[in-house]
Amino acid sequence: MNSALFLSLLVVAFTGAFMLLVPHFSSPRYLFAVTVPAGFRASEPGRAAIRRYHWWVVRAIAASAVIVATMAQSWPDLAVVLAMLPAIAGVASFLRERSKLQGYAAPPPGVREADLAPDGDHLPRWIALALVPLALPLAAAAYLRAHWSEIPERFPVHWGAAGEPNRWAGKTPAAVYGPLLSGAGMMLFLLLLGLAIFYGSRRAPQRTAILKILVACVYFLGFIFTGVGLMPVVRVPIAAFLVATFLFAAAVIAWGYKIVTDPAQPVEATLDQYWYLGSIYCNPQDPAIFVQKRIGFGYTINFGNRMSWLLLGSFLAGMLGLVRVAR
Amino acid sequence: MPPPAKIRIDLNSAVPAYRQIVDAVRVLLVEGALPPGSELPSVRRLAMDLGVHFNTVGEAYRELAAEGWLDLRHGRGATVIARGSPAARPEQLQEFRTRLRSLVAQMRSEGVAPARIAAELRSLTESLKP
Repeated sequence: MNSALFLSLLVVAFTGAFMLLVPHFSSPRYLFAVTVPAGFRASEPGRAAIRRYHWWVVRAIAASAVIVATMAQSWPDLAVVLAMLPAIAGVASFLRERSKLQGYAAPPPGVREADLAPDGDHLPRWIALALVPLALPLAAAAYLRAHWSEIPERFPVHWGAAGEPNRWAGKTPAAVYGPLLSGAGMMLFLLLLGLAIFYGSRRAPQRTAILKILVACVYFLGFIFTGVGLMPVVRVPIAAFLVATFLFAAAVIAWGYKIVTDPAQPVEATLDQYWYLGSIYCNPQDPAIFVQKRIGFGYTINFGNRMSWLLLGSFLAGMLGLVRVAR
Repeated sequence: MPPPAKIRIDLNSAVPAYRQIVDAVRVLLVEGALPPGSELPSVRRLAMDLGVHFNTVGEAYRELAAEGWLDLRHGRGATVIARGSPAARPEQLQEFRTRLRSLVAQMRSEGVAPARIAAELRSLTESLKP
């Protein structure tokens, strides 16, 4: 089996498994992002909706695996793209089932509860640990500077699906330090995002949990970008990055799944009428900038809040700046 | 350590949200769950947690401050202050009587016995003692 086929099949398996998990990856209070009565999932209409969804995703996984197997040899890059077919089928099926479930939606919850304790806006002390991995790209930059003479005049900076280099860079400070700089930028971006979510969302245990996940991501990015940054002088197998990424993503998903499906976790009261396509929230009356997602784990932005647009604009500008640096 | 005081409002209720916040916080103040010196969440934080507009919480805090329960200093949030027991004015007493009368009539119309209503009122009055 060539590496392009292996990679494509890995993407099919990973994407397919995730899409199969989607109907279960939410609080029992929701099904396909619709608020449903307690116990609805176990009822016949609930199980039928999940069955139909799974059937479409399984067919997409099978079709994707066949297409990928036949194309991986001739068009390896296209095969990786087509490996995302289960995701496309999953989204389409999700929206169809969501539409069908509207008739079973539970009445909107009107009761809201709030703690009158003033605390909760103080960051946990362990957040300081998130600054530690920022030392990794700095250390890598210092190492590269000390071993500048060992860097070849031309080194690979991009690899194809088959694992072969397909883009090269010359020995310039921008090319050598660029990945480390963009890595550090992404780490800072994640930290800022974590802080924005912490201060811009309702007090709930999920708020601290997402902060922990983002800190874990900062550590992960620190190691990955340091590895990539050292590539001009240290040969690190591309497969190691891919395996590490898949393992890390699987661990984060398992962590998030455990929290989301825990019936003891409080569920945020947002109204169905302000959710579009099950994942876009827009409620001008809600002062929260970030709200808990209904599918998967984490937070999404409240597009009805002016502050959200300001934050989004700032983050997008930052990301564009990072992309520019990376190039 | 006692659990932190909580308030609950119902956005589907006919009673305005700000009025529900005032009533809920006042109950906690009267029963001593929020003693003088207690700090309340900022307007921004409470509004976000309850999912209501900032002005709704701001108005509720201002009303409680006007009643002498809270000290609202700009940028420092709301702090519970010591408050004497003012003597209710005759017109206030009349207003309370009217509201109680309406509530008692509603309870009677729903089949609650007069003795039970009297017992409930006595029990609630006792439980609200700080």
